[in-house]
Amino acid sequence: MATIDKLSYHSRLRYVNTGEKFAFSAITLVLCIGSRSVCLAVFVFFAMGILTVKKGGIPISEYLRLLTIPMVFLGMNSLILGVSIRQTPLEVFAIRWGSWYLTGGRETIGYGLQIFITAMAAVSCLYFLSCNTTMTDLLILFRKWKCPALIAELMLLIYRFIFVLLDRGKAVSIAQKSRLGNRDYRTGLHSFGELVSCLFVNSVKRSEALFDAMESRCYDGVIRVLEEEHPPKKREAFGMIAFELWACFLIWIGR
Amino acid sequence: MEEIILKARNLKFSYEGNSHMALNDFSLDIPRGAKVAFLGSNGSGKSTFFLCCNGIHRPGSGMLYYNGKPMDYSRKGLLDLRKKVGIVFQDPDNQLFSASVYQEISFGILNLGVSKEAAKEAVERIMEEMDIASYREKPTHALSGGQKKLVSIADVLVMEPEIVIMDEPSSSLDPKHVRLVNQAVENMSAKGITVMMATHDVDYAFAWADEVVVIHEGRVLRQGPPQEIFADPALLHTANLTRPAVMEMYDILCRKGILNPDAPMPKKLEELLSRLTVL
Repeated sequence: MATIDKLSYHSRLRYVNTGEKFAFSAITLVLCIGSRSVCLAVFVFFAMGILTVKKGGIPISEYLRLLTIPMVFLGMNSLILGVSIRQTPLEVFAIRWGSWYLTGGRETIGYGLQIFITAMAAVSCLYFLSCNTTMTDLLILFRKWKCPALIAELMLLIYRFIFVLLDRGKAVSIAQKSRLGNRDYRTGLHSFGELVSCLFVNSVKRSEALFDAMESRCYDGVIRVLEEEHPPKKREAFGMIAFELWACFLIWIGR
Repeated sequence: MEEIILKARNLKFSYEGNSHMALNDFSLDIPRGAKVAFLGSNGSGKSTFFLCCNGIHRPGSGMLYYNGKPMDYSRKGLLDLRKKVGIVFQDPDNQLFSASVYQEISFGILNLGVSKEAAKEAVERIMEEMDIASYREKPTHALSGGQKKLVSIADVLVMEPEIVIMDEPSSSLDPKHVRLVNQAVENMSAKGITVMMATHDVDYAFAWADEVVVIHEGRVLRQGPPQEIFADPALLHTANLTRPAVMEMYDILCRKGILNPDAPMPKKLEELLSRLTVL
């Protein structure tokens, strides 16, 4: 969470119009998932990776590290999708368990792989958006698209205070460790309980203080803030359209 | 006669569910344009009084007057009051809520109902003035403590208040940011803004303030010019305050006959040193 946030502030694509980036990754994502085309998924996975690393300037080591998290998760999922439990074995492999077989055929494994590749392509689309777009810009976009004010404001406040809470949590945890609060499992559990309750009390206090501070600046129930604008560029828009057309072409080829 | 911008008479205030009086018969006068330092130990009632000044807390009894008029606690009255009395809170993390510096500063001014264009202009101007434009696009959580403090000051100044209240502005700041904050405070005074500041730094209070208010256990022990306040050992003892270093040194130098006690007392170390170097 904190790393992606940090990366997005240093991305070279940060000032590209948010709507454009959002549309780009959303349309590509929909095409990937809608078509389930392996051909397109492989292309998108690499294209998004190259865009994020080369154009966005996100360090490749960071990007790969980020990719491993969903890869493990999706890999396990696809593994389950790729095998089936039947009474008759399939052609590729079969493990016997009484009168049942844990078995995989060309079709089931192909299906598992297809899901895996499509999902990884979808993840790379989302990473493109989140590594190159700051949360602030996304929130502005939601506001512009008439997302209910309550939800937009809650998102804003949650986003801001996640970091305050993380900081507090880290500080308390360090304070506990310095006094051997994690000496063994028992003390560890105890310290963690204390940490959670202390953070809770802390956030209640903070929310009260924040409300006072906002009231002091004439808060009247609606958060209004100014937004900095980065209008879309023609070149980017054309590039995007070309990319999506190419994606449709790949779907057609891969059928 | 100097004009009184804020007047408090016999304020009493206690927090909900707490019988302890946070403010107890609290009275004072704040002259317009003055630099007022509030001294007193933690929990003496400084912050509580500050929150009364812009109507966040409403005293249980007693009266507050702004520009000679009793405070109006209607919705509109409070908005008017809060436009004129800005508070820079001690912990910027409790004040800054927006995701970016630019948005953060724009919050207050947009609440005043000005047009977007005017707000934009004001935000740009204040960022220029405070020299914080270089991190306008940064998220607030990525700023250093000192930068957060400068942003929280800009937050309030953009609303063009008549009084700025600062609750221990330089606590836990590095020397560079202490200097920047002090510079910002000087600029406010130059513009005619009344500044009320809680501080534990007696040396700074002595050098900076026109008026010192000593608070102890929810009441004003004494209000007056710094030279008078710090010359009263009994008062300092009750309020757990020490004398400014410059004053101590000056007294000894006068007693030893090195400096002439008839000349006005130096307020800062530099003044004392230059006085000594010309001997």
